[in-house]
Amino acid sequence: MQRLLEIYQHREMLINLVAKELRARYKGSFFGFMWTFFNPLFMLIIYTVVFSYFMRIQVENYSMFLFVALLPWNFFQTSMTMGVSSIVTNSNLVKKIYFPREVLPLSVVLSNLVNYVLSLAVLLPALLFFKIELSFNILWFPLVLFFQFLFVYGIVLIVSALNVYFRDLEHITGIVMMAWFFLTPVLYPLKMVPAKVSGLIYLNPMTPFVELYRNIFFYGKQPGLIDLKIVLLVGFLFFFVGEIVFARLQRDFAEEI
Amino acid sequence: MEKAIEIAGLWKKFRLYRDKAVTLKERLLFFKSRHRWEDFWALQDISLVIEKGLTVGLIGRNGSGKSTLLKLMSRILYPNRGTVTVNGRISSLLELGAGIHPDFTGRENIYLNASIFQMGRREVEQKMQDIIDFAELADFIDSPVRNYSTGMFMRLGFAVATSVDPEILLVDEVLAVGDTAFQKKCLDRMTEFKKRGKTIIIVSHSLEQVEKMCDTAVWLNQGRIQSMGEAGKVIGEYRKSLG
Ligand SMILES: Nc1ncnc2c1ncn2[C@@H]1O[C@H](COP(=O)(O)OP(=O)(O)O)[C@@H](O)[C@H]1O
Ligand SMILES: [Mg+2]
Repeated sequence: MQRLLEIYQHREMLINLVAKELRARYKGSFFGFMWTFFNPLFMLIIYTVVFSYFMRIQVENYSMFLFVALLPWNFFQTSMTMGVSSIVTNSNLVKKIYFPREVLPLSVVLSNLVNYVLSLAVLLPALLFFKIELSFNILWFPLVLFFQFLFVYGIVLIVSALNVYFRDLEHITGIVMMAWFFLTPVLYPLKMVPAKVSGLIYLNPMTPFVELYRNIFFYGKQPGLIDLKIVLLVGFLFFFVGEIVFARLQRDFAEEI
Repeated sequence: MEKAIEIAGLWKKFRLYRDKAVTLKERLLFFKSRHRWEDFWALQDISLVIEKGLTVGLIGRNGSGKSTLLKLMSRILYPNRGTVTVNGRISSLLELGAGIHPDFTGRENIYLNASIFQMGRREVEQKMQDIIDFAELADFIDSPVRNYSTGMFMRLGFAVATSVDPEILLVDEVLAVGDTAFQKKCLDRMTEFKKRGKTIIIVSHSLEQVEKMCDTAVWLNQGRIQSMGEAGKVIGEYRKSLG
């Protein structure tokens, strides 16, 4: 609790870091903004071609089915790959000035969160273009996003702190994220997974998030209550465990870095 | 008297690695053999109380643990045993230019650096002119810090850190650098701090400076407190030990 208060007291620093991050990414122009979508759009096109035309997956409107899940996945993946090194790359600050160290991973997660929210400006028109009806269930978005933020922040806290002690975690994270992507029902619908293992897929905390986003954006359905309960639990669990682990490990950062 | 800082039974050790395994791969493959170190106690059994409004000098030979003690006070490092209790906002100048980003302009750096010390945007805007004047950077404030000379760089760092208006200021040997005019300016600013009742802790190699500025002094010797008390007395003892 004490630590959260301190992070709040350093909000100005947080805002500055997030702004710096976004400015560097967008280079202050519309094209800079579009450029950040180049990667997800490129993936969207490739996967659509491969799964929809080559492999003929039986999903209507596959590209949008995919897009709705790819964006939150991207929020998670980019936060992880950028966040894991956030403490180590700022070793200069960490060694010489006091501030709550959470600010560094948090600024990475927040800038990716902003990015995700801004990407709705591309997603919503695309959905309309493909004649997918938007419903009031979209109003659930902020809540689901909040829980996803807690989850992503918690796990980024843990990997960024461990990376100080194990420097190859950066590379390991890249590999793990690739496997994680295929084990999350982003490219395929959950019901395609054999019943025997679909329970296992639910051990993956990203699964209920993807299901929820799909419900509210793509199917225009109410979010599943069980999914909501799971993400609430997952969000707070990762958040608290992340904070506790980080608070313990950060004490030695200045020496080990 | 109110206490600004209280340190009780503090011990701090560093690991001097002979062989350091920094990857998971090494840790798993070579388990223990590649990860060896010796413990080095940089500070031993330190207890002291610093009262509010005092200016305290930390003196001692190189490697006696002065910088380490300042880092423990500012919570960059944590003790292995004992406690550090601090009452009030700390601003530290442990190294000039810490947190200054070479690719940003002077102005951008002032915003970023000040925010690390918890200054709000509005507060910075109010003090901006003051900071620029103190750092004598009027003509260069909007060019990247990369192009600054060392002197300009240091002036910027000092100007920001002291504009924070902390209750406790920690300064580590930064006054040893810079030309005489700048040193005088820094000293003047610290004197002004002192007049306003702030607590200051200075590490300095210049015993004259400590004598002039400080009320009390602490002499560290190989990680232990050799002597502390009234500044003139402690400095006298220290001088004698140097021969
Ligand atoms: N991060 C560190 N790792 C290992 N040893 C350190 C570290 N920081 C300081 N030391 C050692 O601790 C001792 C005290 O250092 P320091 O506090 O910098 O002394 P001073 O500032 O009085 O010159 C020195 O012997 C130094 O080598
Ligand atoms: Mg030193």
